Amino acid sequence: MPRTQKKGAIVAGFLAPHPPHLVYGENPPQNEPRSQCGWEQLRWAYERARKSLDALKPDVLLVHSPHWITQQGHHFLGVPQLSGKSVDPIFPNIFRYTFALNVDVALAEACCAEGARQGLYTKLMRNPHFRVDYGTITTLHMIRPQWDIPVVGLSANNSPYYLSTEEGLQEMDRLGQATRAAIEKLGRRAVLLASNTLCHWHFHEEPALPEDMSQEHPHSLSGYQWDMRIIDLLRQGNTKEVFRLLPQFIDEAFAEVKSGAFTWMFAAMGYPEIPAELHGYGTVIGTGNAVMEWNLEGA
Amino acid sequence: MAVVSAFLVPGSPLPYVKRDNPPWGKIATGLERAGAALVRSEPDVILLYSTQWIAVLDQLWQTRPRVSGLHVDENWHEYGELPYALKIDTRLAKACVSATGTIGVKSKAVNYDGFPIDTGTIVAANFLNPGGKIPMVLASNNLYHDFALTEKLGRLAARLARKQKKRVAVVGVGNFSGAFFRHEIDIAKDKIVAPKYDRWNKKILALLQAGDGKGLSAALPEFATKGKADMGFKHGAWVLGALGGKFTGAQVHAYGPLYGSGGAVVEFDL
Repeated sequence: MPRTQKKGAIVAGFLAPHPPHLVYGENPPQNEPRSQCGWEQLRWAYERARKSLDALKPDVLLVHSPHWITQQGHHFLGVPQLSGKSVDPIFPNIFRYTFALNVDVALAEACCAEGARQGLYTKLMRNPHFRVDYGTITTLHMIRPQWDIPVVGLSANNSPYYLSTEEGLQEMDRLGQATRAAIEKLGRRAVLLASNTLCHWHFHEEPALPEDMSQEHPHSLSGYQWDMRIIDLLRQGNTKEVFRLLPQFIDEAFAEVKSGAFTWMFAAMGYPEIPAELHGYGTVIGTGNAVMEWNLEGA
Repeated sequence: MAVVSAFLVPGSPLPYVKRDNPPWGKIATGLERAGAALVRSEPDVILLYSTQWIAVLDQLWQTRPRVSGLHVDENWHEYGELPYALKIDTRLAKACVSATGTIGVKSKAVNYDGFPIDTGTIVAANFLNPGGKIPMVLASNNLYHDFALTEKLGRLAARLARKQKKRVAVVGVGNFSGAFFRHEIDIAKDKIVAPKYDRWNKKILALLQAGDGKGLSAALPEFATKGKADMGFKHGAWVLGALGGKFTGAQVHAYGPLYGSGGAVVEFDL
């Protein structure tokens, strides 16, 4: 059971992207395929993030993943234990991962109820045979490979794609507020994980050897420049400007933050104007990925 | 003639997992009628394209000889599981992988234990090919392929089946109008989310029933945008490509709402 405290708090948030290539490059025993190397800058960025997370000693990790897409409502994993084999439908050659995770069901239920109170359509996922998506698994593995902290998994309702970006992200804002209220009510010490890539323009073919790093670079200069602009603003703590630019960034860089995790996390944290710690940046099949941390306790 | 039967069916799990809800039960009954027609056509192989098997890098083809498991839909998990056990025509699937370069498409074979089979493929297979007796070729929906390229893929797959002297049933899995209700509804009173989408669906169904290929080709681009056709109606492109655009009419075994989207079970007259 998670430790509790009088009033819960979000102690940190991480931008924690989920390219399965990072798991493949690391060669953990849970993943079937073996690599020679690959994406070290990002994997080492996660090593730094792991140390920070360890020091934070959270009760629970909450992860919002763009690869659990739901059309009707915002869903929450609501089964105490989930396990199985997750094969990435896009990159089955590099990600076939045997997972087992524990869910903080009480917190998931509270998030679900608070979301409904915010006027969102919310659902708990109670089916024990459910296959957890590879985005959730990759982010959780990369940030905490020990799998010893309970999690709450949130789906990505497709509202930013089905409605307008702005309308969809307004929903994610409310989801973030609901998440915060639930964490505070249940007295959890929580870390939020936004499982999002930045610029999402990507190459359409894989190299014959996926970890051939001589083939890895940003897909485009404009996408790279967008990523650096956003990261620099986040490093300065200029959150307001980031969110002013967000719709344009999404349009011009095809940024995956459109799916909502980034907005959800910032809304839950109260859009803090604090400098982010950049643990590292790198590309994966051309997409831009940053591992970043907002430590709210240290702020 | 390689193609002996052709169908469009919806990929929603609702008729399968919740057929006791009358609007969805009608679709399930229509799917069973289509399944009976498919079996009567005595195909050697089913060429199936599902809009829900998403690919972004290459064109993917299932090449594992047998795939089986238990799938839970990402959205409708509360209604239970979708079991599946499929037999794959690996010889034909591998021929497709090898040949798509001729139409400018890079393909990849998928042969992995535990690979997630999409809801649409499973639902269509369970209704049209119960017990998985008929071998299948499963093709993915590459998001970067347009209607015309998907037509070419369907045509190529049918041509390769003909080369292997196989009788083919071709199946496109996807919705007609893709707009849906986002919030909780009284499922017993499910309906197409807006009258304009209902009109569009009926217009396309009428063109299919009339065997009006030219009219259909002219209407489909507008249907894709104004009718919010599921994935640009690329599952239709797959079937039309395999048929070489030739059909004399169609029977609509069922049409109705699937949480607001348009679900139709269509059998082409060849």
